[in-house]
Amino acid sequence: MPDSIGPEKGCIVVLPIGKVPESALDAVSDSISLYFNHHTRILSPLRTPQCAFDEQRRQYNAATIIRTLESINFEDDAKVVAIVNVDLFIPIFTHVMGEAQEGGKFALVSMYRLMKGGVGNRPSTSKILKRLAKVALHELGHLFDVVHCADEKCIMHFAGNIQDIDHIMLNFCTYCERYLEESMKRHLKPTSLCSHHPELT
Amino acid sequence: MDEKLRIMVVDDEKIVRESLYHWFKREGHSAETAASGLEALEKLERAPFDVLFVDIKMPKMDGLEVLRRVKEGYPDTIVIIITAYGSVESAVEAMKFGAHDYLLKPFKPDQLALVIEKTVSQVKLTSRYRYVKGLLDKITRFDNIIGQSPPMRELFEVIPEVAQSDSSILITGETGTGKELVAKAIHAKSPRSKGPFIAINCGALPDTLLESELFGHQKGAFTGADRARKGFLEVVSGGTLFLDEIGEISPKMQVDLLRVLEEKKIIRIGEREPIEVDFRLIASTRRDLPTAISDGDFREDFFYRINVITLQIAPLRKRKEDIPLLAKHFLNKYSRETTKHVDRITPEAEGFLKRYDWPGNVRELENAIERAVVLSKKRTLGVENFSCLNAPTAPQNGARTLKEREKEYVQEILMENDWNVTRSAQILGINRVTLHKMIKRYRLQRGQ
Repeated sequence: MPDSIGPEKGCIVVLPIGKVPESALDAVSDSISLYFNHHTRILSPLRTPQCAFDEQRRQYNAATIIRTLESINFEDDAKVVAIVNVDLFIPIFTHVMGEAQEGGKFALVSMYRLMKGGVGNRPSTSKILKRLAKVALHELGHLFDVVHCADEKCIMHFAGNIQDIDHIMLNFCTYCERYLEESMKRHLKPTSLCSHHPELT
Repeated sequence: MDEKLRIMVVDDEKIVRESLYHWFKREGHSAETAASGLEALEKLERAPFDVLFVDIKMPKMDGLEVLRRVKEGYPDTIVIIITAYGSVESAVEAMKFGAHDYLLKPFKPDQLALVIEKTVSQVKLTSRYRYVKGLLDKITRFDNIIGQSPPMRELFEVIPEVAQSDSSILITGETGTGKELVAKAIHAKSPRSKGPFIAINCGALPDTLLESELFGHQKGAFTGADRARKGFLEVVSGGTLFLDEIGEISPKMQVDLLRVLEEKKIIRIGEREPIEVDFRLIASTRRDLPTAISDGDFREDFFYRINVITLQIAPLRKRKEDIPLLAKHFLNKYSRETTKHVDRITPEAEGFLKRYDWPGNVRELENAIERAVVLSKKRTLGVENFSCLNAPTAPQNGARTLKEREKEYVQEILMENDWNVTRSAQILGINRVTLHKMIKRYRLQRGQ
């Protein structure tokens, strides 16, 4: 992991969209601080954009939500990890648990499917939070251009279902970590101190 | 997954193209998109792809048509059909036409992962197949001599046998048939393989120079001989001397060489002491030496001395079944050398190459392929890439009767079609019975 980078370099912000439990936001924020060794901040919640709701599929279009985020001023922030508790999809897939712009600014994570257990059981809160942290770190990895990893235990390994998410570790493999380290140096350019976003308050 | 694929997503919907593109990129594959079937085929013509994800419903050219064309032109490229729930029948139809798999939109991310995993296995299998095929191809090769026609197979069998003896060999064949390659192969298989192989083109050297090159000279033996020099007959000791175009040497040189072959001794120009030499002679000619003997241009005793074993290399027009094999070999060679993605020849162009008479033989074919690869802007060479061959083919020697022409043409068509009588009869515009009669009348045989 790179040396700790201060807030003056631009924060990685955690943005709740709709009703997201505080514990979930903290879990994501703490994981980012720990694994990315970078300053993070939790923003005030944003309303779930209804334009993203697909009547037919009864799901929210992840690409539309990301487009909405693009229209908001996040100039001072390095990366934005948005958390929703609704079910997400992109047209080609039945669902997605997360979506990110390759090397871009915005990542989106859904808690919806992470709350499901085995056969009708609801998993423990700590398990849900661990899953959420894994998906958030995975999507954030994509924002730093890290691609899927062949190592089945690495957090950047593709996880198509909840079992896969439980199977991967909450950690980057040596190669992804090294790549991430280099990529963060390129991506995190010095910016002014983190500030509030009037649009979100 | 450690194998990375070259993938193209073919869909008229931008969102689908982009989603899949990003997904494949994240998986570490090399991805490309095309908004239409036509664009996909254009891109495929420029660079190879392992797998195409093709939407079945597209305007102008639908997914099935894209699949058909891809399977026709690029059979190794895997096609996976993407279809909506409403058109499962089309997907099933696509499977019949050679699609590798299909995905129903929208699909689960892990379904796509599974399809990719299966595709990677398929690509690995294909590359293993290609490797084995490459090994098999080498069987049709003999020390860089390529051919699978009966005359070439016969040659491959004879080379190791004649290589073991020390007798002189005369290789006859038209220009460009690969006489030197055969000579090198004989040398490589012979007990003299550790010794030198020296090739001299007798036709390219004036008589006096050839004499000094072969026999060597003492210092001051003639004007310009400022130092003593060993001749090739001496230098080649323990190895093989290949005298190309032996039919071009003068009668005096014939006498001199005859003496060397009989006595195994040479005398350098300007010296008196003979030096013992030990080499094997392989000579080659494109001339008809028996005719040259009757014309008084070539010594009969020398002819018999160099002609202990005769190997005749058939001209390319007499072994047209070797043309695709040779063309593929030269295509691979020049594609690699020029680093251009040219890896196939259209069936029409292959037919054109087989019909051409190749007066310059294999050398001319090699030059034609090299030129075509260098100038081609596509992956596939078509007839248009061989426009330089449109010149009339070399005139045949001697008067030809209509029957001779007919026999030759029927034979040619049969060979081009691997002796498929039905197909050949169709091309000739006659029925099968007539063709059978002609085969009998002209005593045509496969591999003639």
